[in-house]
Amino acid sequence: MSYSILIVDDSMPMRSVIKKTFKAAGYKNSQFHEAEDGEKALLLMKNSWIDLVVTDYNMPVMNGLEFVRALKQDILFKDIPVIAISTEGNESKIKEFTDCGVAGYITKPFTPEIVRDLLINILGEESYDGDFEQSGEGFDF
Amino acid sequence: MMEILSKAAKDSIFEVMETMFYLPVEFVQESILGESGLYEKMPGMACQLEFTGDFSGYLTLFIPKDLLIDMTKSFMGESQKNPEKDVVLGTLTETLNMICGNALSRVDSKNPFQLDLPEVIDESKLSQTQTFIIMATPQSMMAISITMN
Repeated sequence: MSYSILIVDDSMPMRSVIKKTFKAAGYKNSQFHEAEDGEKALLLMKNSWIDLVVTDYNMPVMNGLEFVRALKQDILFKDIPVIAISTEGNESKIKEFTDCGVAGYITKPFTPEIVRDLLINILGEESYDGDFEQSGEGFDF
Repeated sequence: MMEILSKAAKDSIFEVMETMFYLPVEFVQESILGESGLYEKMPGMACQLEFTGDFSGYLTLFIPKDLLIDMTKSFMGESQKNPEKDVVLGTLTETLNMICGNALSRVDSKNPFQLDLPEVIDESKLSQTQTFIIMATPQSMMAISITMN
């Protein structure tokens, strides 16, 4: 299936890596949008149909937690599943996100296997293209 | 605490380098930069990241330019044959961000740490007296230091 996925991260290389890993995880047919902070992501979402949001925590202007809170308070966006990706694996940080209603949390560094398992859990088995690439030097786009 | 954080930083470098860059690394020694042999690999690029929490400080990462360019190509995929400087520096800061977040999550603490945004620094301003953890990849070396406030 094809999804419209928004990646929110202030690091351009990290946005590329997330996109590359999602494709390697079996979601090659999806369309990817990018924003460098929560504020720009909200603006983009007003004009684009988004099925899934992937957001970093540590960003300038509006951090990931503030962005998720804003999404969950908006009647148009509150049902869109959100995955938080962060370097911080502290349990209380993860709880802050889950309390805000995120569907999943990924800690950096991550592999296509971790992404695939979480996406199947959130979007369902039928969402998976079945074209999974093992992590390692082989996967590329 | 420094000993615990130093061990956590080494473990995090192993995990980040192998998972995100497919680069095996091994610990070489702890030494000042001048005695590490890393200056022979100049020029390099450096960045710092401050953290606050139950204890506070900052991490400094130094990577020789050639290794960093190879890491950027590996990180971004073959679409980046000749990565631009801002992409290379973005890879540097993201690498430190991952190492720092991963290392601090290995340390028991009552409260979550707050990480600042990583900042690129002038390599010539790197401390000549600070002890760095020196790690080796198959083609080069890299160094990280921990400073507690």
